[in-house]
Amino acid sequence: MKRGKNRWRLWRTVLGQGSREAQVIAPATEERVRSTEVPAPEIAPNDPILAYFQNVAGIVDVEKLELDSPALREMKSAGVKMAIPLVSQGELIGVLNLGPRMSQQEYSADDRKLLADLASQTAPAVRLAQLVRQQQAEAQERERIEQELRIARLIQQTLLPKVVPQLEGWSIAAHYQPAREVGGDFYDFMELEDGRLGIVVGDVTDKGVPAALVMATTRTILRSAAQRFDSPGEVLQRANDVLYPDIPPNMFVTCLYAILDPESGVLRYANAGHDLPYRRYEEGAQELRARGMPLGLMPGMAYEEKEVLLDHGDSVLFYSDGLVEAHNPEREMFGFPHLQALIGDHGANSEGTLVEFLLNELAKFTGEGWEQEDDITLVTLQRSEGVMSVDGPAVSSSEEAGGGENWRTLERLSVPSEPGNEREAMEKVAEVAKQAGLDPGRMEKLKTAVAEATMNAMEHGNKYRAEVPVVIEVLSSGKALSVRITDQGGSPVPKSEVPDLEAKLEGLQTPRGWGLFLIESMVDEMNVASDEKHHTVELVLYLKGEGDAS
Amino acid sequence: MPQAQVTMDVRKVRDGVSVIDIKGELTAFAEGVLMSAYDEASDGGVRAIILNFEGLEYMNSSGIGLLVTLLIRVNREKQKLLTYGLSDHYRSIFQITRLDDAISIYDTETEALRAANKA
Repeated sequence: MKRGKNRWRLWRTVLGQGSREAQVIAPATEERVRSTEVPAPEIAPNDPILAYFQNVAGIVDVEKLELDSPALREMKSAGVKMAIPLVSQGELIGVLNLGPRMSQQEYSADDRKLLADLASQTAPAVRLAQLVRQQQAEAQERERIEQELRIARLIQQTLLPKVVPQLEGWSIAAHYQPAREVGGDFYDFMELEDGRLGIVVGDVTDKGVPAALVMATTRTILRSAAQRFDSPGEVLQRANDVLYPDIPPNMFVTCLYAILDPESGVLRYANAGHDLPYRRYEEGAQELRARGMPLGLMPGMAYEEKEVLLDHGDSVLFYSDGLVEAHNPEREMFGFPHLQALIGDHGANSEGTLVEFLLNELAKFTGEGWEQEDDITLVTLQRSEGVMSVDGPAVSSSEEAGGGENWRTLERLSVPSEPGNEREAMEKVAEVAKQAGLDPGRMEKLKTAVAEATMNAMEHGNKYRAEVPVVIEVLSSGKALSVRITDQGGSPVPKSEVPDLEAKLEGLQTPRGWGLFLIESMVDEMNVASDEKHHTVELVLYLKGEGDAS
Repeated sequence: MPQAQVTMDVRKVRDGVSVIDIKGELTAFAEGVLMSAYDEASDGGVRAIILNFEGLEYMNSSGIGLLVTLLIRVNREKQKLLTYGLSDHYRSIFQITRLDDAISIYDTETEALRAANKA
């Protein structure tokens, strides 16, 4: 850009697309050293001079221009004499700013024509260069996002279980279907002491790599807490306290943690704000509720703990919101009521597994060409049909009690082996017995017998280990009520000598040891059975008072 | 360990006679409460202690064990143990365990007091 001795100071201001920053590019010649450095003006997006530059044709005499424009004032004070807007296809893409001619003369008509020609030819070229650069940036951004998605998917897939656990008497299934932009879903299985199984289903807010990293951290924290604590509520409490200080603000994790005792079918669970699991049983589908805040939101949270006894043929579904929040082409949501109804419909004799069934229904709902909005995770536990030895040994009640084939199960329940829990067992059984028509005069006998047998089961059988439940089954033959109380000790209560008050008062017997004696005195029949893992006491009471036990 | 779901208030109704009003559950957890109630009841020397079971909600075999322990102490002190207010169910348990041989059962406080005075 040199023309003989006519040397210009040239500042070229190229306005980037949407950029507020102006660039100064000084000519790479020795003149630059001698020239006075003048910064290119910053032009605010709302400066009226932009509209003026865009619409004016040709060269602008800066000194003569009157406009209430901060950029114009700056240009004037910087000594800019002429501005030549670079306009391509009606769009202002840059401005050539010229200072005073170095020869101290005014710009000639020739100079002006040359500059105008230059501007009109430069503008499209500059525009093209801008577009190329912009496309390169966009391609890089796309590549970066794809790369991130690959990393997120990799983290997720590395940490999800490769196989589902095999448990005798149970079938366990898991299905994980990531959305294109990977969400934060995860699930995990943990083998715990005594053959119990820990089950985690969770969802991290946010997507991509940040979510995957928080998921990885949460998984590790839960794994370590699960080895230290036996209670699902405590595990979540611990996980929350460890996670809270480190989790980025505005992120949190919803998570359900459950412990299955495959022997008894007892599932204990706690929930940190995750979608409620469903239990499918004979009567339909039941929500498994337990209160708790998501992990990582607030420190010092406590988590409600619940338990449910899964009968033969029962299933439990754990899932993430990707299923219930899926939309159909009419923008309706799949929704909880729909899910609950479907689970209830899917009987034990239905074709295919519950997971297959739900995926099928989801596909029907969303229709073809659905772009999955979020990760979908489904985990199911199903207890196999049929009587297994996990029920405890068979007890044989007498013909008089209406035994044999006539027994019908009214209720199955369980209590953790903690001192005092016999009262809960007693009240629950009494409630069932009342419904079954047990003579009110016999109710107190039943309650005492159930409480004593449950205490024995908790103490002798389960050694007051809270995580080992006592399972209680209430049956009716129409004539009599049978209460079968099973512990996991595998041996009967040691038979002590028949309690004798005289001997006790004389210190020849312990003051205690009344339990079995009381039970036998309260019921019409008591049967016991043991196998290598369980001990069952059956208490039989006739519904009506004939043959009173006392 | 759960707290004892029980209260036992001691009343010195007469010279040499105390009443312990038992409200709640008589289980293994009640041991401390029962023994300190007994200490308070026999403070200053009494010849009869009456257990008021009108407020009894639940008693189990451990509770019966506690009564036996109490009986041993009462016998050692040459005191007499009486009771009233037992429900039919717990009255029958007293019979089954033969506790009623050692602890006389009455229907009301008046009857129990009368019997205690004769002791």
